[in-house]
Amino acid sequence: MILTNVGSVPGKKIVEHFGIVQGSTVRAKHIGRDLMAGLKNLVGGELKGYTELLQESRQEAVDRMSEQARQFGANAVVNIRFATSSVAQGAAELFAYGTAVRVE
Amino acid sequence: MFDVILQNFDLFLFFCLAVLGYTCGTIAEKRHYKSIIRREKELLKLMVVNAEGHFAEGVVKQSFLVNGSAVISNDYFKRMLAILRNIFGGRVKAYESLIDRSRREAILRMKQEARAKGAHMIVNLRLETSTIGRAANQKNQVGSIEALAYGTAVVMNRK
Amino acid sequence: MKFTPKYIDQNVNVSKTHPLVEMAWLIGGLLVLVVVLYLILGFTAELAVTKIPIRAELQLGEYFADNFDSVDNPALQQRLQQLLETLPTESPLHQYDFIVQLVESDEINALALPGGHIVVFSGLLEQVASENELALVLAHELGHFAHRDHLRRLGRGLGLTLGAMLLFGEDSSAGRLATNLLLVSESRYSRQQESDADRWGLELLVACYGHAGGATDFFRRAARDAGSHIPYLMASHPHPDDRVRELQALIAAKGYPVAITESLREDLLTVGSEE
Repeated sequence: MILTNVGSVPGKKIVEHFGIVQGSTVRAKHIGRDLMAGLKNLVGGELKGYTELLQESRQEAVDRMSEQARQFGANAVVNIRFATSSVAQGAAELFAYGTAVRVE
Repeated sequence: MFDVILQNFDLFLFFCLAVLGYTCGTIAEKRHYKSIIRREKELLKLMVVNAEGHFAEGVVKQSFLVNGSAVISNDYFKRMLAILRNIFGGRVKAYESLIDRSRREAILRMKQEARAKGAHMIVNLRLETSTIGRAANQKNQVGSIEALAYGTAVVMNRK
Repeated sequence: MKFTPKYIDQNVNVSKTHPLVEMAWLIGGLLVLVVVLYLILGFTAELAVTKIPIRAELQLGEYFADNFDSVDNPALQQRLQQLLETLPTESPLHQYDFIVQLVESDEINALALPGGHIVVFSGLLEQVASENELALVLAHELGHFAHRDHLRRLGRGLGLTLGAMLLFGEDSSAGRLATNLLLVSESRYSRQQESDADRWGLELLVACYGHAGGATDFFRRAARDAGSHIPYLMASHPHPDDRVRELQALIAAKGYPVAITESLREDLLTVGSEE
């Protein structure tokens, strides 16, 4: 699966469109991580736990989107956009969408 | 028996609301999905992409902005589920269908608007999500999210 | 470039797990978490309580006693003195300066506060019919001191609030849920303490009067008003019926004689009727 965030796959020609595909996931951090983040907030610095969590979730959102594209019979997703929203206190939604296409 | 209910009124209320939330929430979700699937199939022919379209001169008759949005709330049972999930972390499954429904509904409404105005395709689609009520899983707050879909509808010149 | 409309029935964005199954897992997990917290709390509180010297406790007591609008009562003080005199001389309780105070309130209750203050509500005094019953109530409170329950409860309460705050954040609904569950387990713990204090009190009563007459009268009366057992599953005190049963079992096991009770003497009768 080729993933790009421009309107085409450079060097290839889009032969078929399948429409919008999207993948999303909502993740929460467990309270232990919340606690550590609270302590880390006192001294500043990177919250490794959270970075990891968001990275993992974003990957899952992309995987879900690719899965949907695969079901369409596409071999690429172009013009991918990411969005993050906090759906609930302590939980973040990671969302990815793009256009499923077949390229040659 | 009645005494027991009165003395543990909090617990009793909690239980009742959870049962009510679960049954009503499940029925509402099933019905909503049914309607979403039906309408999605109806509007399947209307092409939506999130790329900027490049059109040759004279092909496009008219283009305009279309949008659709939906605010969907979570039921009491699922809210409890999300609160519990917050302790352990991981995938908050209770919110997945909520978001999925509102986003698909928003796209559908946008498509319906485009169809009503005679559009042939929608280009440059963008999706946004926002929370209504800061903390959607707080017990006394309205737990709901808004999904917004917007894009440019294009009407072609048909020969 | 062509557009191929296709419909896919599968939905990759929603997990397949049934919500009820997830709920069961989460509740199970929460229970495990609560049990672990409860054990840690119990362990640390136990450790701390045995280490606190009585002198530090006396200072704490000053603070608590000020919170009650109470008056010294010589009649009650005399009853308590009588009980204290029957205590063996090596008892650690002799390090305290016990003060019994009366609080005007309809509540049927008595409290053991840190530092040797015993607070008796006038509502309780009205319910008491004999010297022996009163002696058991006071002996029960002394039992709390003997087990240092008043400190333990304070320590656990503090630990509970602190732990819940640290783990779940000050104001989150998850925290409130877990705290409520912890409180339920706390009440179980406190019921155990009450039963222990009952048993301790009974022995002192027998030592003082030479028989166990009147030991169960007070709870028997309370049991009539208490009603169903079910609310007591989560209460901080055991159901009066259970307390009566336990006391009776102990009386039978130890072979304590049961003699006729002494009716309440003049100086305390007036306290009750002032209301």
